[in-house]
Amino acid sequence: MSNCEIIRESIGSWLDGELSPGESDSVRAHVAGCGDCDEVRRQLEKLQMVLKEELAGKAARIEFMPFWREVQQRINQKRPWHEELRGWCRDFFTAPRIAWSVPAVIALVLALFSLDSYLPGWRFGGARNNFAAVDSIDAYGRSVALLRENESKTTVIWLYQDQEGENDAAEDATKSGPAF
Amino acid sequence: MMLQKMRRSLVLLFSLLLVSFAGWCGAAEKTPQSVQVTIRSILAANKSDEFDAKLKGMEQQLKSLKYRSYRSLKDESKTVPWQGTQSFEIPGGRTLTVSPQEFQDNRIALKVRLTEHDKPIVDTTVKIANKGNFILGGPPHEGGALVLSISASAP
Repeated sequence: MSNCEIIRESIGSWLDGELSPGESDSVRAHVAGCGDCDEVRRQLEKLQMVLKEELAGKAARIEFMPFWREVQQRINQKRPWHEELRGWCRDFFTAPRIAWSVPAVIALVLALFSLDSYLPGWRFGGARNNFAAVDSIDAYGRSVALLRENESKTTVIWLYQDQEGENDAAEDATKSGPAF
Repeated sequence: MMLQKMRRSLVLLFSLLLVSFAGWCGAAEKTPQSVQVTIRSILAANKSDEFDAKLKGMEQQLKSLKYRSYRSLKDESKTVPWQGTQSFEIPGGRTLTVSPQEFQDNRIALKVRLTEHDKPIVDTTVKIANKGNFILGGPPHEGGALVLSISASAP
């Protein structure tokens, strides 16, 4: 897009006073130095003037009071709840609202995933893994049995002696092996 | 045109803020200051069919051990700071030393050491669910076996 094309798109807004002071200065400076863009400005001004004259002439003949009365009546009129709801839904699902709802959904999903740290025990309604995980174990020469009992989700570390005479005080149950 | 630009910038800014906030929420797992560690010492034996009423809440867990009787010997609870150490006196001249290591994904990593008259019996590192427990058992005691329920709770 050339500089002239960009400026020409802004000329209308400039003439309507919709641009910022900086943008206005930039458009004004360009138009002053560019014959083609100045011609566009001139045509737009002419069009505006013609439209203004035409509308002003027609407006003088229009009776506005009944129109304003109708507007006021509609403003004061109480709408039924279903129409209110329809209006709310229409407003909600218009484009800008949807644009806002995308990050909101992302935030909601992320919050859902981090919910377990705020509500321990909750995880998508399912059962939590209560089993203990044994990272390391050193029983100093003794035998070790590891049991994971599914029903009660219990992890058992069981120490036992399977060498005779090492611990005279030990009972048979602990000498011969794990008790499960 | 200006209004449209402003609205687009606002939506973009709001999106960034929301995503950053959600990311912060996800990353900021609350790390508690300390852990409540509870050690329950139980005598498991085959001399009778007695089941101590105090152990009612653990009945399902103890059922996995094939003993006939279970008697609660001692319950002790202590607050232990992270990376700190606490010792628990266990019947039979034994000592259980517990040191909470880390809290991640709502699980507590515990370093546990059982000694008998200063002689080490077992050293283990176990990750348990917050407010969960595991059982360490086997050492002979009073004609049966000593069973320790080690639980930890981070508020």
